[in-house]
Amino acid sequence: MEIQTEQFTAAVKRELQNSHSRAFLKLMPPVLNMKRDIGLSTFPDIDAAQAYGAAIRQEAMARLPELLEEFEKNALANGAKVFWARDAKEANAYILHLAKEREIKYVTKGKSMVTEETGLNEVLHKNGVEPWETDLGEFIAQQLHRPPFHIVGPAINVPVEEVRDLFMAKANLKEPTLDPVQLGYAARLFLRDKFHHVQMGITGVNIAVAATGTIINVENEGNIRLTKSSPKIQVSVMSLEKVVPTIKDALHLIRLLSRNCTGQKLTAYVSMDSGPKKKDEIDGPEELFIVIIDNGRTKIYQDLKARDALRCIRCAACLNICPVYGQIGGYAYGWAYSGPMGQVLNPLLLGLDRTQDLYRTTTLCGACKSVCPVGINHPSMFLYYRARDVLGDPYWRGKKRSGSEERFFQAWGSAVTRAWLWNLGIRMVRPLINKDAHEGVISKMKGPFHGWFRTRDLPAMAEKTFHDRWKEMKKCNNPVPAKRYSKN
Amino acid sequence: MKNVSLFIPCTVDLFLPHIGEATVTLLRRLGINSIYHEEQTCCGQPAINAGYQQAAQKAAKHFIKVFGEDDQVVSPSGSCVGMVKYHYPELFENEPEWRRRAEELAPRMFELAQYLVDVLKAEDVGASFAGKVAYHESCHILRGLGVSEQPKKLIGNVPGTQLVPLNAAESCCGFGGEFANNFPDISESMVKDKVENYLSSGADLLLLGEPGCLLNIGGFLSRNHPRKKAMHLASFLAHNGKEGR
Amino acid sequence: MERNEKMQQPSAREEILQKLKAAPKQSVSPRPEIPLLSELAMTQEEMIHRFTERLVEETGIVYRVPNNQEALEKLAEIARAEGLKKVMVSTDDVVAALDLPAWGKKYDVIIMTPKDFPHRESFRDAVFNEVQAGITGADFAVAESGTLGLIHNKDQARLVSLAPILHIAIVPVERMNPIYERVVDRVFDNPQTFPSQFIFITGPSMTGDIQGVLFKGMHGPRKVIVILVG
Repeated sequence: MEIQTEQFTAAVKRELQNSHSRAFLKLMPPVLNMKRDIGLSTFPDIDAAQAYGAAIRQEAMARLPELLEEFEKNALANGAKVFWARDAKEANAYILHLAKEREIKYVTKGKSMVTEETGLNEVLHKNGVEPWETDLGEFIAQQLHRPPFHIVGPAINVPVEEVRDLFMAKANLKEPTLDPVQLGYAARLFLRDKFHHVQMGITGVNIAVAATGTIINVENEGNIRLTKSSPKIQVSVMSLEKVVPTIKDALHLIRLLSRNCTGQKLTAYVSMDSGPKKKDEIDGPEELFIVIIDNGRTKIYQDLKARDALRCIRCAACLNICPVYGQIGGYAYGWAYSGPMGQVLNPLLLGLDRTQDLYRTTTLCGACKSVCPVGINHPSMFLYYRARDVLGDPYWRGKKRSGSEERFFQAWGSAVTRAWLWNLGIRMVRPLINKDAHEGVISKMKGPFHGWFRTRDLPAMAEKTFHDRWKEMKKCNNPVPAKRYSKN
Repeated sequence: MKNVSLFIPCTVDLFLPHIGEATVTLLRRLGINSIYHEEQTCCGQPAINAGYQQAAQKAAKHFIKVFGEDDQVVSPSGSCVGMVKYHYPELFENEPEWRRRAEELAPRMFELAQYLVDVLKAEDVGASFAGKVAYHESCHILRGLGVSEQPKKLIGNVPGTQLVPLNAAESCCGFGGEFANNFPDISESMVKDKVENYLSSGADLLLLGEPGCLLNIGGFLSRNHPRKKAMHLASFLAHNGKEGR
Repeated sequence: MERNEKMQQPSAREEILQKLKAAPKQSVSPRPEIPLLSELAMTQEEMIHRFTERLVEETGIVYRVPNNQEALEKLAEIARAEGLKKVMVSTDDVVAALDLPAWGKKYDVIIMTPKDFPHRESFRDAVFNEVQAGITGADFAVAESGTLGLIHNKDQARLVSLAPILHIAIVPVERMNPIYERVVDRVFDNPQTFPSQFIFITGPSMTGDIQGVLFKGMHGPRKVIVILVG
């Protein structure tokens, strides 16, 4: 997928004016949050259930290489084939080669975000293998050439009128309609034909189980099941952090995933594949290829703090609760992953230099952290990225900030340890700050504070700070002198 | 009289000193004498938020020196208290002695409402008010410190006061320090929603515990709805809902 | 190609594993205590009740009959109501015990099974285009969420419960379980007998992808009917 993380500010401006997106964002996330609360209430102790999820993913990351080896061994024993890809290029080339070798004309695709990272669809399309996204939202987004708006509902913000027009042009919709159910049915018929004759299907992987060599997919639509069951060849692509130790671990995570994502007890289908079909079965893949992709994760893995980002199970609970996402929607994040989890992951995969705005566009309100079923501390990650960026850390491609900002904080660092200097600085800066103050209120200020003063006032800096007032209060009515602080 | 050490955040010191005064008044009414170390400057939040860890470490070390021997430190701010309790130990990952000192100080840090209810066991703080109020749950107080029942209890115990529900009370107001100035489009959108919810709640007054939120929401009200007010809990409790200056 | 695929590019695999192994080590945090799910304390009747409740929440239709005979009568009712003329049925032990070919003759419903087809293409054509329903048994039912568990094998083809617009499942009540873990304990206890695919089915297929409007019947069945027997 095209990387547009550097056009963040322009994209935000645009999206804030998109009244349709705004209307949708006022409605959908609150509904999903409510459903999440109801779904989670089936746990006798929600916090414990989420903490357990965090422990599973912590263990999975701590033991990653050995779990991947165990997964591979068991998958091979099941009769699957396993291919390891260092990066997008290798993964795409392998899958394309497979398709060409088997003379595949088109593939049906279950939703796979890692293939959006790698741009697989474009590579297939350019080389004469037509990729059909079959998740309804992905299908719409693909046909409209739009990035995903929400990781669970990629086209959920697209107005029905647009969907109708699209389906009339591209999905054999005969009679115009604005009814989502009718439109859905048209998509069913159109894509059903693809499923019926497909020879190769490509899916992602939600969870890979080390102990049994099993890959697991969750879905509501049935497109992944069809993609796995109809063709002779199944290719399932997993980024390497998807592995967990046991099948019971997987089930606990699936409970958390379903409830955090849409409030469902369980998604309509949970399909678990342990190798290709057996010889005497009439449907299912004769060959199952599992592609394990790195694409930047071994790099993340080296950094113990960044490593926690790999726990993510893509439940989107953080998107639904984030007040920033709730204002701007998914497009502005500029890549495959949006919302707080996109702000955590994109900088690690793309570099801090290309995602400068992503880890700064947050008030650190902590709502994301509070809902995460695998214990990711998003605010802490954002602060970490900023620190690395400021230092110009070459590993993460930190960019450093402006000279004036660096000088400001150097001066600030000197003043903060010396109260006399600190208070002198305040006295010196007061007249500048209050230059345009009127009756104790500042409504405008020259300099880099235009953002604040566009719609907000600020109280004038007090003529007597609390520090000053204390000195006076002390004389009047506070007989206990303040202690001198220890020098060390 | 018992003593408590006062930590006044720079937002209060510079722009909202009356909140500091209200805090002192309130504590005295409850039999607590405030000690204010004049050497205090800043907890370091602006530096940490901007990624300047070295500068932040300087601020943190100074803070620990100033407050390190106090039995209890109270502040009319959640974000600053949270900074000291949770970020200082992280900041000193590679300096075990400072880390130890930070960890020892952490349990002695209190946000104001937390201090009044959990430590002083104060229920009625001698305030009164006639009218409806709504309470905005500041992020660092609610999620950062887990403090929510305490301020609402204090408000509920003020005779004449009716605490009305506030839609999306737990949603961020859009301040986030430098965020408000650097991402004004989003910040404005957020504070606008917060104010709309305040206006539709039917409350006469919006109460909150975080000075940053007060600057943000109060600043937006001042420009766009000058007759509607937001107020810090300390001011409300100390001066019966009238702003002291 | 075949041999190569298994050991494809040892350098990529080795490189990735090497990098992961060379990274700083982390100790594994202990798992916290979690209270048991309430379904574990349920009696069979309670589980059946919970199962029904959950599945009906997802617009599934649940009938309960005391024995196979009445199951067949219920099936006849359903066939009439749904206008079923041709159905695809599994050859699993539950369905086999019902003798659906005989039932089909009696009620004028054409019964097809995957075994009628010499190869997968013709089976696929039939199950996609010719039948109005798929009838299967189920290996497990899970009370926790109104879920069916199906082991796919030579007697349980995948497309039977997936391609037709209506899925009818017949489930002996002894197969009821409280939670998923009980089920997978049995399905995955022996690597020699791991099924190629095991599936949990909870109600019909659905989506909310167009403006958040939820509806049933996206790519899989639009309707799921479960006949609990016993």
